[in-house]
Amino acid sequence: MTDVAQSGPAPRIISAVLGSPALRLIVKRLLTAIPILLGVSILMFVLLNLLPGSAALQLLGPQATPEQIAKLNDELGFNRPPVQRYLEWLGNFVRGDLGKSIVSKQPVAQVLPEKLAVTGELVALAFVISLGVAIPLALWAARRPNKIFDRISGLFTTAGLSLANYVLALLLGLAFAVKLPWFPSFGFTSISKGLGNNLYSLFLPAVALAFPLLCFYARFLRSDLVDQLQGEDYVMTARAKGLGPWRVLLRHAFRNSSFGLITIVGLNISTLIGATVIIERIFALPGIGAYLLDGILTRDYTRVQAIVMIFALITVLANLAADVLYAVLDPRIRYGSN
Amino acid sequence: MRTRTKVCVLLAGALVLTGCTKPGETGNSSNTPQYGGTLTVLDDAAFSGSWPTGLDPATNTTGGGNLTQMSAIYGGLFRLEANADGSNAKVVPYQAASGDYAPDGKSITIKLKPNIKFSDGTPFDADAVVFNIRRDMNADCTCKPTWQLDGTPEQAITAQGSDTVVIKFAQPTATAIAAFVIANVNWIGSPTAIQAMGDQFAIKPVAAGPFTVESDDLSQKLVLKKNPTFFIEGRPYLDTLIVQSIQGDQPAYQALLAGQAQAYEGMTTIPLLEEAKNNSSLVVTQQPATSPYVIQLNTKIPPFNDIHAREAIYYATNVEAIRTGLFKGAYPASQSFTAPGGLFNHSTIPGYRTYDLQKATDIINQYYGGSLNVDLGTLDAYVANQVDTELQTEWAQAGIHAKLHSDQLGALVQNFIGGKWQAMLQTAGAWDPAVGVGVGFRFGTTSPFSGISDTQIDDLLQQAGQISDPARRDALYLQVGQRISDQAYAPFILAFAPASVVTKGVHGPGLDTLIPPVVVNTAILWSDAWMEQS
Repeated sequence: MTDVAQSGPAPRIISAVLGSPALRLIVKRLLTAIPILLGVSILMFVLLNLLPGSAALQLLGPQATPEQIAKLNDELGFNRPPVQRYLEWLGNFVRGDLGKSIVSKQPVAQVLPEKLAVTGELVALAFVISLGVAIPLALWAARRPNKIFDRISGLFTTAGLSLANYVLALLLGLAFAVKLPWFPSFGFTSISKGLGNNLYSLFLPAVALAFPLLCFYARFLRSDLVDQLQGEDYVMTARAKGLGPWRVLLRHAFRNSSFGLITIVGLNISTLIGATVIIERIFALPGIGAYLLDGILTRDYTRVQAIVMIFALITVLANLAADVLYAVLDPRIRYGSN
Repeated sequence: MRTRTKVCVLLAGALVLTGCTKPGETGNSSNTPQYGGTLTVLDDAAFSGSWPTGLDPATNTTGGGNLTQMSAIYGGLFRLEANADGSNAKVVPYQAASGDYAPDGKSITIKLKPNIKFSDGTPFDADAVVFNIRRDMNADCTCKPTWQLDGTPEQAITAQGSDTVVIKFAQPTATAIAAFVIANVNWIGSPTAIQAMGDQFAIKPVAAGPFTVESDDLSQKLVLKKNPTFFIEGRPYLDTLIVQSIQGDQPAYQALLAGQAQAYEGMTTIPLLEEAKNNSSLVVTQQPATSPYVIQLNTKIPPFNDIHAREAIYYATNVEAIRTGLFKGAYPASQSFTAPGGLFNHSTIPGYRTYDLQKATDIINQYYGGSLNVDLGTLDAYVANQVDTELQTEWAQAGIHAKLHSDQLGALVQNFIGGKWQAMLQTAGAWDPAVGVGVGFRFGTTSPFSGISDTQIDDLLQQAGQISDPARRDALYLQVGQRISDQAYAPFILAFAPASVVTKGVHGPGLDTLIPPVVVNTAILWSDAWMEQS
């Protein structure tokens, strides 16, 4: 019996996981995520409770008396001990019950997927644009450091880093929706109405989100590539073998520099999601950022808690994806050597 | 060409260039309303474009800001109408046939128009109206009117037959009908739908207004379709009305220029308004002012429990500099809580303390050793922040050092309720001072949003709310204004009002004509709005 059980599918999976360094890494990271998420949830709960104003006031209106507010707080359960409220919420969250919005009475889990999809698309498109432009820009600049293209791209990226994305959002709208009516100035077209229309509606907000990141990635990658090309032995070896400059750059230097870029991209996911709050507002996109901002302003704790936890989860998963990418790119990680 | 003709041509050219035309005639290439079209109206996400609690009158705490959404869906028992130039504004029956006060002022009788049906086919009758008003008055939401009913809502609000509703008050209430246009009791939903839908009614209400709800993404986008069973034959003109929430004036202005929206309610940013007026594709209609800016002083705590500190603020405030510097003279100065667009306007008050820097400095030197620190708050809004900054500069010249803070509505309300605030820049008054964010809201002893406790003002306000004779009410409000001025309770600045901005070819009452705003924005009459069809 014992032998049969030990040779069954479950032990084989466990043995495979323990035997594969990459899978071990994923499992380890997932286990590490649990205390991180718990920490985020506690911090968020404390901060939300410290915010001035209350959901009861939002629901009752500005002329509510202290007695009315106290009565509603009691009905909403806000008069119970914070620890009890937190544990109840956590239990429900783990079971997948995100609760009902205190303000609108809509189930959060019902509203969230649609809004998450909009933000997900926006963030994904912003990443595609930022990396799609930053990588060629950095490669080209690093190919001939301090020459004309490098200097122009340096100016361009410095200017880009100095520009707040909400200012850029308004400028893009003015330039490409008003002066040159190429894109809509606001609004979202669902993917169900065609991928082309969908991407068309998201293009300006995605550029507004992507631009500062693009500049940062380009500068970071260019700097790292130049360091690699100028100081690393393996580059010298590759050149000595007679490889052309582009081949050295792409096959050798870029491969090594991409580790740093992947780390930065993984870390930037939370920054990018945070930036959607204002960009979605400016372009009137029905995403999760605008939904979160409304939740904070109306002290809709249920909604805010659910969204913040989802953001935290996405950030953890993005960093895990970055770790997996390391393993894909670097055999030393893949095979568990130093 | 004769001289007269030349003048006419020049004038016409100038009007086209400036985009400013006479209200009521703005941009009309045709005076005959046309049917059809989809109109997208933009509303600021910080105010009218925010409906987080949904659109159920009994629970919508932001109903006063959501006049477009609520009136388009529900219509209203009464509504505020005015001539195209904003004159002769009055509350008129809409779904009601009439509204009459009893001779003693202690009850009102509302007769309903016959044969109105909700969009679900159920009758819009006295029982439905009674059901709704009782439900509103029983709700916890403070969006209900502050009526003192004669007994419980069940006792005081009754149906007489199928078309008559009687509401009884504990004391004469001569402003009850005027209060309807800004109160949730004006909006009647289908009782059948309310009972069947539960919380979902707030998301997709069923009513008898000019439009029905197609989809509702709260505080984001509301899509409304023409109500085929609307009680007025041939209305509304529009097929679809889309209410889109937008992040402030700049994105809204760009959306209008891009042709993605056709109307924007409540533009306040002066440079954008100037630009919009010079844009030939837009029509800007500056609505009449009803609510002046006021610096509320909390007389219950130091330093403003001392009249000298209050007088110093009056003397240190240079209203003319704010009016011409920040607002380019677009809005009239005011010394009381009334404004030219509202009832009982008195822009000057005898003996009002006007700007006198020397007097302000003397007071600060004599009573406060040459320096007085104060805390000045306001709602976090562009115009209010600009005024606060200007006040800070002006007061500093007299030795009054203001620490500024601007808050979102929730935090601001908490500040008021906490009672620790010193000075607040707010708007005071309404089209009728007795209703909405009227004078009692800012100056009544029992209001949490008042900084004063003065029984004389309370008595005057109570009397003004109980009598219907306009001349007597006018005299009473003048006395209130005089008392506020004499006691230096709160210096007034100017009577500010937002503007409606529409693209050429869009017409409607409140869009390209003037209607006094009942609270902040004008209540646009959407059933009568129309677009020129190309």
